[in-house]
Amino acid sequence: MTAYNLKIITPEKTFFEGTTTQIIAKTTSGNVGILHGHVPYVANLVSAPFKIEIDGTLKEAAISGGLIKVSPEDVVVVTNAIEWADEIDVARAQRSKQNAEERMKRHESQKEFDRAEKKLKRALNRLTVAGKK
Amino acid sequence: MATANMKDVKRRIKSVESTKQITKAMQLVASSKMRRAKERAIAVQPFFETLFNAMCDISKDSNFTSVFTAKVEKKKTLMIVIAGDRGLAGGFNVNVLKKAAAKAEALKEKGREISIMAIGKKAVEYFSKRDYNVTDSFSEIAEGMSMYGAMDIAEDVAARFKKGEFDSVDLIYTTFVSALTQEPCEMAILPVENLTSWADTRHATPIYDPSPEEVFEGMIPTYLCGLLYSAIVDSFASEQAARRTAMESASDNADEMIGNLSLMYNRARQAQITQELTEISSATLNDSD
Repeated sequence: MTAYNLKIITPEKTFFEGTTTQIIAKTTSGNVGILHGHVPYVANLVSAPFKIEIDGTLKEAAISGGLIKVSPEDVVVVTNAIEWADEIDVARAQRSKQNAEERMKRHESQKEFDRAEKKLKRALNRLTVAGKK
Repeated sequence: MATANMKDVKRRIKSVESTKQITKAMQLVASSKMRRAKERAIAVQPFFETLFNAMCDISKDSNFTSVFTAKVEKKKTLMIVIAGDRGLAGGFNVNVLKKAAAKAEALKEKGREISIMAIGKKAVEYFSKRDYNVTDSFSEIAEGMSMYGAMDIAEDVAARFKKGEFDSVDLIYTTFVSALTQEPCEMAILPVENLTSWADTRHATPIYDPSPEEVFEGMIPTYLCGLLYSAIVDSFASEQAARRTAMESASDNADEMIGNLSLMYNRARQAQITQELTEISSATLNDSD
């Protein structure tokens, strides 16, 4: 398969810059796979596993929302947070999962509940990718 | 009298010395924290450029409209004010809070309703003591600021904006100009303005999935989160820089005081010796008291 350039940018650093043959990402309308020569395409990403094929193997990372922009010369992913599976701080994700669950149980207000739910989703996503759910 | 005075001076020298040790340590801590925060603040740049370009591209689409860019008459404003968690940073907290208060007063006079989101302990204390409607307060979050923390706040702001709780959002924080200068500044962050100035016309219109409006709206929390994160990091770098400068001049002052006091001590010592010599040579007991 033909390789293409991929760049993943977060506010903290450029997370990934290099070539890949395929990425699999989850957008608001479902999973998409991007190969070389994809038409120009822009979509929002949701918190989910994000897979990048490097040298024939799929490497997995946990992404927390963001934007994917496919243009003829490269693919750019802009996100607030992304971590490789082996970089995820499992203990911290567990803590934020528990914290979110407690807040959801208390159900103080709809606003609080929605916030906690989003937080829970992100924590679960990180745990799934780390393989320690 | 001479001996008592000497003891006092000696004690003062000691106390100034120990204060100097503290200010010196604070200066060193602040300068290393500042360096790290500055690096974080610089690392945000590429993220913004990409995101802002994407937003500009979308807004070029002829049928594009969004509540986040709509120009309505502004009535209710949320002011996000970022200050420090601790004092002893020269004019850092005062400057930014004064600017925020002045801005709030000016907007009130125009008949706008103001609510305040205070970030940093000093901002929380300042606004809750005064007659302001503080809807949210966050203390002690700047130093260990993570993206996840910023995201929580950003999503909340975006959702409330969409619901119409406020129709504009202003951000007031201190920006790091150089290690010696930090300036309080303000920024209108919602509705999103000036989108076209950055746009480029390199590409054909891409496919927006599911629609340009929805993609744009989905980007708003990411955009806000990036903005908040960078403002908080910027403000933290400024706080450390201000503290470093303040502590540096405190250490300098301490040095000067020690110098003066040592001079005083040596003079008193010399005076005592001279007096003793005079007493011996004239062989009389001459107590100056």
